[in-house]
Amino acid sequence: MSVLQTKNLTKRFDGINAVNNLSIDVEKGKITSIIGPNGSGKTTLINLLSGMIKIDDGVVSFNGSKELSKIQPYQVGFYEVTRTFQEVRLFEQMTVLDNILVVLTERNVFNSLFEKHKQYHLKKAQEVLEKIGLWEKRNQLAVNLSYGQRKLLEIARVLGVDAEIILLDEPFAGLFPEMVKIVSGIIKELKQKGKTVILIEHNMDLIRELSDHVFVMDEGKLLAEGEPHKVLEKREVVEAYLGE
Amino acid sequence: MEYFIHLAILFSIYATLGVSLNLIVGYTGLLSVTHAAFYGLGAYATAILLTTTGIGFFLSVIIGILVAMVASFLIGIVLSKFDNDYYALASLGFNTIIFALFLNWQSLTRGPLGIPGISRPELFGFDFSSNLSFLILSLIILVLIFYISKFIVNSSFGRVLKAIRGDEKAIQVFGYNTAYYKLTIFVISAGMAAVAGSLFASYITFVDPSSFTVFESIFILAIIILGGLSNMRGVILGALFLILLPEALRFVGFPPDIAAQMRQVIYGLILVLLMLYRPQGLLGEYKL
Amino acid sequence: MDIIPQLVLNSIIAGSIYALIALGFNLIYGATKFFNLSHGVMAAIGGYSVFYFAKTLGWNLPLSIVIGVLLAGLIGYALDKLVYLPLRKRKASNMVLLVASLGLFTAIQAIIAILFTSQFQTLSQNVSGQRIYEIFGGVITQTQLIILISAIAITIGLILLLKYTMFGKAIKAVSDDEEVAKIVGINTNRIIGYVFFIGSAIAGLGGVLVGFDTGIEPTMGFALLLKGVIAAIIGGVGSIYGALIGAFLLGFVENFGIWHISGEWKDAIAFILLILFLIFRPRGIINK
Repeated sequence: MSVLQTKNLTKRFDGINAVNNLSIDVEKGKITSIIGPNGSGKTTLINLLSGMIKIDDGVVSFNGSKELSKIQPYQVGFYEVTRTFQEVRLFEQMTVLDNILVVLTERNVFNSLFEKHKQYHLKKAQEVLEKIGLWEKRNQLAVNLSYGQRKLLEIARVLGVDAEIILLDEPFAGLFPEMVKIVSGIIKELKQKGKTVILIEHNMDLIRELSDHVFVMDEGKLLAEGEPHKVLEKREVVEAYLGE
Repeated sequence: MEYFIHLAILFSIYATLGVSLNLIVGYTGLLSVTHAAFYGLGAYATAILLTTTGIGFFLSVIIGILVAMVASFLIGIVLSKFDNDYYALASLGFNTIIFALFLNWQSLTRGPLGIPGISRPELFGFDFSSNLSFLILSLIILVLIFYISKFIVNSSFGRVLKAIRGDEKAIQVFGYNTAYYKLTIFVISAGMAAVAGSLFASYITFVDPSSFTVFESIFILAIIILGGLSNMRGVILGALFLILLPEALRFVGFPPDIAAQMRQVIYGLILVLLMLYRPQGLLGEYKL
Repeated sequence: MDIIPQLVLNSIIAGSIYALIALGFNLIYGATKFFNLSHGVMAAIGGYSVFYFAKTLGWNLPLSIVIGVLLAGLIGYALDKLVYLPLRKRKASNMVLLVASLGLFTAIQAIIAILFTSQFQTLSQNVSGQRIYEIFGGVITQTQLIILISAIAITIGLILLLKYTMFGKAIKAVSDDEEVAKIVGINTNRIIGYVFFIGSAIAGLGGVLVGFDTGIEPTMGFALLLKGVIAAIIGGVGSIYGALIGAFLLGFVENFGIWHISGEWKDAIAFILLILFLIFRPRGIINK
């Protein structure tokens, strides 16, 4: 069952089509990877799907919603979408705990002023932070964490949101092997819970290990798709990577 | 003693202004240089109502708050279209527009002549005409606004403000319509500034446009940057410092007619020095 | 005297003055990418220097003017070296630079007020004895004609400088991409220093001419700054042509705008124009 669908999705930057007439279908409950050489449009795609940048042409639909040609960032939560960022975007001057709490609390202006669920949110935050091992550091400012810890905190953030569709933009970049294990463990767990994970990644071993389905992008277009071991052997795919 | 009370009243008024501006600049990260406009709207509301109608001080405060909130709502909507430097610039523009209103809408404000003869507050027969009683009133208001601000800042709402300051686009993706949050805090802050304005009008018993220029907004900004952005106690410290320091100069022998200019030189230079050497101010953690 | 030709002439004169401020502002913005709000006070420095040398000390007028303009340039250069350069080296954000420039403006304006009192003064020797020219049914004084000619001459000079000299090309390189300019071997900080000198000198000249046309007062810097910034932004920040177009557009909108309303609303009209542009065409007329 398709949980995310794009039709003729296009984004232009200065005359170049960063995402070019892209039509893909993402299946529910599976781990889908998006791979491709640098500049193929992967992050642009994630940015379009999460409302960070405007769609120029084409539509997106989530979970059978009506086709959207405009996505506002604050609406993606309604469509059960959440994401991490390639360049880690934490709230630097806030504590680890606050970074998680802020995605748990009431989204409505009035309700957030008179928040009624403090204890519940605190418990949830503790759960999530303990899972990645940062609960002891909960009162430290995010800016003081190590790179690996920051990446983990970003992941904890999406765990806290508990959305159905999770977009991860290079979650493994720059991580030590122990942390890679933790993150792949989390991703597998998400799949067990029935969540849909869309993953941008460069590490082919991880792609093979984790993905159910792979989309290969090149120059904004879909180059190939299918099961990992089949796709990664295709000539066009190898050439796209070598040619960059 | 009277002199000390006078300084303490000024301190309360400016600390109130500082606390309110800090909510916008320190906690939400919006460089607003238009606060004097809302200060002035509150002052003029009280001035006009107290001198031309039978409306009492406390009711005029409420009307002043409403006027400032409406104005800030409209201004806030326009400002929300801008980022950073343009935001600051546009806010300067609005301060100028409202100042022009004070100066030129003479039928209402008497323009440069100002409005004299504003009476002191009266509550259930009690008259606040003695400076000491007025000081107690302004301190009570300061404490009230201080604790309201603390409540806001420590709530989930306050956490969202800090996230907006940190990375607005990122917090949006997590489901927050940040425009509503920014507008809300802007309006609340403007209402608080209006209260300070009403106090000012009634204390000095005279208002004229010159108290609500862009330089006044810059002064309030200097207070909170000096004290330390997003630090509530820092604001108190900053206000104390910037009210007392120019007064200390008087004792060193500067003639009173250049006192206002000296104050301006001081807080202007302090802003520059802070930017160069200590952008987080005295107590602050957050650097611009 | 027909009203329309007079309004047109007034617009052109106003536009010329604003152009002198906007040119320097855009030049500096182009090279540094921040809103230098202390720019306006350079005009005041120019005007007041001439006042001091020519009227107070009685020096030769042309010499005083040259010194005044150079002094404005020097002080602008000094501010860059003392404040903006250290901040840039520290990779300070634009907001920090903006706040620092606000502080400098505030302090310098107050210093001028202390040194020269807040009184309105005029630079011209005999107020009534100026030569007057009639053009197409409108009237323009000799000073105003000089203002117009200066604006055009300086614009042409700048365009020639930027296009045909190595120095000008270096400025353009820094404006396009400071990092690349550095890599290519340009001493960007030195170029920026010169840009501050030139821009501030031009503003100083503007202040001098305004002094002859209407007069000087310590707050003149702010009014001119606002107009200059508005002109610069609506014309297109960082662009020389933009500064000119924006300045004349502003001049026209202001003068025709107050045709049926009182002249005191000029500033408010200027700001409304700015806000409209910031909302609908933030890059200005000349989209960069």
